[in-house]
This record gives sequence, structure tokens and C-alpha cells, in this order.
Amino acid sequence: MQEATFYYLAAASVASAFFAVTRRNPVHSMLWVLALFLHVAGIFLILGAEFLAAVQVIVYAGAILIFYLFVLMLLDLPGEEARPRFGVHWPFAVVAGLSLGALAWLAQMEPLVIEKAAVAGGGAAADTPELGSLENLGTQLFGPFALPFEMASLLLLAAIIGAVVLAKKRAPAS
Amino acid sequence: MTISMNTILGLSALLFGIGMFGFLARRNIILMFISVEVMLNAVNLSLVGFSWHMEDPRGQVLALFVIAVAAAEAGIGLGLVIALNRNKPGAGVGDLTELKW
Repeated sequence: MQEATFYYLAAASVASAFFAVTRRNPVHSMLWVLALFLHVAGIFLILGAEFLAAVQVIVYAGAILIFYLFVLMLLDLPGEEARPRFGVHWPFAVVAGLSLGALAWLAQMEPLVIEKAAVAGGGAAADTPELGSLENLGTQLFGPFALPFEMASLLLLAAIIGAVVLAKKRAPAS
Repeated sequence: MTISMNTILGLSALLFGIGMFGFLARRNIILMFISVEVMLNAVNLSLVGFSWHMEDPRGQVLALFVIAVAAAEAGIGLGLVIALNRNKPGAGVGDLTELKW
């Protein structure tokens, strides 16, 4: 049952990614990307990352994608559907995508043998929380990952200020 | 038909290849950004897969950081798109051939 669900989600996410990059109408592309994000969230659930699946739906599908849609509608691109879908160099892009995909595909052909690393923070406790639980992730974020976590907040602050400065109307030149 | 780490990595590779094709081939700047999001999602998928395989939450923490960076990238990128659009309507990268106008 779980396997069947996984393979359905995998096939559907590949199909929706393909449609997302090939549709002529940008809004259709966005909707296919939404389908991709939701299917990937389903795969996260199967892989035991419950919190990350929720973040994927709320932040990616809920916030980032809506932001893209807002800008798309703000720009109001007339005649976008009449323009050529791809640049004239698109066969090269196909070759590049295929060769990168094939390279990664070949790299994963051999069965992986990975030693399970000792979980930082000690997994020896009798009541170890579940892998993808909020408790587990929060302990990591505020423990060994505290510095990167704060840096991420700084990065987001810089991005907010940068976006406001970039999109602001310029004062008339003096 | 069991889920193995190899399957997850293969799926991630496929998604990354599709996103890369989209980024290189599309000429609409917003759709290029969307292709970048597809690639970031592929990377997240492999990070979560490794986390699941090794039963180590650190992969998921890294995926969270990737999501934060994706949000920052979307904000800056779309701010740039709006600024460009003010100077030159349209979202085709083929029209943007000058650094200053």
C-alpha cells in the first residue's frame, strides 16, 4: 500500500514537473508547480518528515507560489501565449537536462552502503522522539544548528529589505 | 516494489533534470524562477530521503534551510522582476540586453 502510494506520488510529481516547464500559459505552469509541491509533500510524509511536509504545503505552496502568482498577475503579460515557448537553443537545454539527469541516475545505480551516523544530541534516550517530529527538529534547530538558524533569519531580513528597495518607485531624478 | 534510497535519488535526479531543462530553455523570467523552485524541490527530496535512510534528523533541518533560502530568493528575484518591468515591460529575458538604459 505504502509502495503503491509512493510510486503514484513519484510518477505524478515527475509528470507535473514536466508540464510545469513546458506549458505555454504561465498561470497553467504555476498550477502544475502547485501539483508538484503537493505531491512532494506527500512523499515527505511517506519518508517520515511530517513537519517538513506541513512546511512544504504552508510555505512553498501557500506563500511562495502565491507570491509568484501575485507578481505574474501584477505584470499582466499580454501576448505571452503568442510568444515562442522556448528559446531557439532549446535542444541544447534538453541535452543538458538529460545528461545531468542521466549522470545522477547512473550515480545511484549501485546500492548505497551508508553507515548510520550517530545522531547529534545523543539518540540513546529510551524515549527518542520520532524522526520528523517537531520536537526532534526543534531540538536540532536550537541545539547544534542554532547559528545557521540565526543566519537564516538574518538572510530573510536582508531579503525583505532588498525586495522593498528594489521594487520601490524611484524618486524623480533631481 | 519496496521504497529504496536509490529510487528516491533517481526521482530526485529526474526532477532536477526537468528543472534544469526548464531554466535553460524558457525565456520568461518568472518561469525560469519557477524552474529553479523545481530544482530546489528535487534537492529537498534527496535530503529528506537521506534523512529517512540514515534515521538522522539533520537532513530535514538542511531541507528547512533550503526552504528559507528559496523564500529569500523568491523575494529578491521577484523584486528584480518588478524593477525590470518598470523600465521595460514584458518578462522575456531576450529583451534585456543592456545593463543600463
